[in-house]
Amino acid sequence: MSYFILQILPYLTMVIFTFGLLYRLGRWAGSRIVHNITLSPFPQSNTQALGILGAELIFFRSLFNFDRPLWIGAWLMHIALFSVIGGHVVGIYFLGRQFVYLGMSASLSENMSAVLGTSMGLLMLAGLLYLLIRRFTIAKVKEVTGPSDYLHLVLLLTIVVIGNIMRLWEHDLGISYAPVKDYVTHLVMLQPVPMNHEVLTKPLFVLHLLFVQILLMIFPFSKLMHVFGMFAERWIINRVYKEPAPGLPNVDVAAARAAGAGLPSGDGAA
Amino acid sequence: MPEVNGLKMPAKASEKEMKNIHIDPVPDDQKVEVALQHLDEMRKKFRSFVMAMESCVKCGACAENCHTYLGTKDPNNIPTNRAELIRKIYKRYFTLEGRWFGKLVGAEDLTLDVLEQWYSYFYQCNECRRCAMSCPFGIDTCEVTFVGRQILHWLGMVPKLHANVGAAMEKAGNHTGLPKPSLIDTLEFLSEEIQEEFGVEVNFPVDKPDSDILYIPSSADFLLNPYTLMGAGMFFTYIGANWTIPSTVAEAGNFGLLFDQRFTQRHNVTRLLDASQKLGIKKIVWGECGHGWRAAKMYIPTLADRPVKWPIVHLHDETSYYVNTNQLKLDPGKNNHPTTLHDPCNYGRACGMTKQLRDVLSACVTDFREMTPNQEKNFCCGGGSAILFDDPEMYDLRIKFSAKKAEQVRATGVGANGDGYLCAPCSICKAQLYPMVEEHKLGVEVKGLIDLLGKALVWK
Repeated sequence: MSYFILQILPYLTMVIFTFGLLYRLGRWAGSRIVHNITLSPFPQSNTQALGILGAELIFFRSLFNFDRPLWIGAWLMHIALFSVIGGHVVGIYFLGRQFVYLGMSASLSENMSAVLGTSMGLLMLAGLLYLLIRRFTIAKVKEVTGPSDYLHLVLLLTIVVIGNIMRLWEHDLGISYAPVKDYVTHLVMLQPVPMNHEVLTKPLFVLHLLFVQILLMIFPFSKLMHVFGMFAERWIINRVYKEPAPGLPNVDVAAARAAGAGLPSGDGAA
Repeated sequence: MPEVNGLKMPAKASEKEMKNIHIDPVPDDQKVEVALQHLDEMRKKFRSFVMAMESCVKCGACAENCHTYLGTKDPNNIPTNRAELIRKIYKRYFTLEGRWFGKLVGAEDLTLDVLEQWYSYFYQCNECRRCAMSCPFGIDTCEVTFVGRQILHWLGMVPKLHANVGAAMEKAGNHTGLPKPSLIDTLEFLSEEIQEEFGVEVNFPVDKPDSDILYIPSSADFLLNPYTLMGAGMFFTYIGANWTIPSTVAEAGNFGLLFDQRFTQRHNVTRLLDASQKLGIKKIVWGECGHGWRAAKMYIPTLADRPVKWPIVHLHDETSYYVNTNQLKLDPGKNNHPTTLHDPCNYGRACGMTKQLRDVLSACVTDFREMTPNQEKNFCCGGGSAILFDDPEMYDLRIKFSAKKAEQVRATGVGANGDGYLCAPCSICKAQLYPMVEEHKLGVEVKGLIDLLGKALVWK
């Protein structure tokens, strides 16, 4: 089973994820922006339009302005999520020694990597719990929530909880960077790892990867597509609109007033 | 009448009324099939619609930002849930997850009951787009309402109000069905009124050839908002403009935007282009009408089937230009009332016109107080998209939809002494607010913006 999850399923996952994504993006691209349906704020240049997109992307500006309590949970969760994803990539690639490039010693970098990873993992857990509790407790949110909305959160929580356990009890239940790097390298090179490889003997690692792959497989067929949806939607509503110049043709107000326009005849200005 | 399966809904147009707007109502046993065909068509055409169907995460941020939900607490009035009325059908027929997992992802078969639900709730949406502003992704739920109403129109399910206005537009060139002689009569009467009240001579040229400016008034101004027309007439006379009103399209509004964005909406556009060409126009100036201004500014370029060579601007783009360049002599003392401004949604959110209104208003009144939130964050008056129905059930909803607005106006304190002004420069806002300020006992009188400018003009 471990062998299937770690050696065969990843290729299936990548195929489903990639083609699913292309299929979904293709559907969007096939439809058109028929009318101009821009929405305030109205950028005057493409740079400003990019600024609006950036503010939404990085700071969740609209949420910040219109729903502060949701913003707190959503923003922290997403920041933690991206830190965790980034941490996985550099941590595994540099074996935790990525901060050496910032002038730290190798052991300090490894500690730093562990501390950051643990705190971001816990932050993400807190963020997800916040969002889940919100769905149960706030009436209006409960009213918009369907079964799949809960399931998405539960799936993410499962992945994060397993990850955090592996982090917090690294020596008993977790795994070090080196065997993971070795495994990923083999996977990318389309080479199988030996049957006695360490990754195959760590049940939590296998489970962690299984749920991540389930997430990736449902990704293109779920609301997780909002990552890309946001770009597509902003492209429709936040774009430059050029106003015609003001001023009416053949109008000279001073001359009209001097001539007494509108004043009863014989009552004109001197 | 207005209740089917416990759903509140406006009276539907009869078969004859539908035929007047070129629709043969689809028989009940074919409605579902035909609706699905149209839905398929729409999803392949409008990306704005597909995005609303496919990228909502149901965070619920839109709920508290929709005045119809705040006023009714009806869960189906939460913007994302209103969109879900179509989304559940869309998922069922047009997505893999909906076909495979059905209920789990909220997919549902289309039935006649669902179509009645669409009719009820898409005509409870004011199309104000405040939800789109609050959405972290910018999902424009107004586009979903548009698609819902368009499909309902093709099925033959349109409120009497909208259908009859569509028919009047085609017959007379304006929503109120006024023929040219009535237009001229009214304008002559208004000239006399101006002479009596303000002592100035203002003529309203109709269909005058070789005019520089084509002024498009809202036809409601002829009946309900005379001071708006008078104000515009005084402004154009004051600045010595060579202007005219076209009798063939004396209508700033365009109900096509609200229920039929094909024939009905394009018809008004075609009339406008014809009139502009015939009268030798140089610039088109739009009167006080919110949805009409959005339809004009944002939709004429894509609906016109020939080149549009005339710049189209709003009246208050121009009045603010002349105010800001100090070319008008204004006496705010003539409007000596505490005044607050209601930003029409289509001006602020859809067309970026907020500063202009303030520049003009603060030059015309002595005591201007902002309501909160304002500008592009303003709440709708509750009449948006012309859901100005008079049947008691629907009228009751209008009162609920305007509850948030009433709260905002009260907070400014302008009506404390019963002599406040609520400036609402949009025909639909005016039509909604005239009765609503009474229902909510706000102590204010509803005014157009150009009304106040007309009064404040100093002629000598």
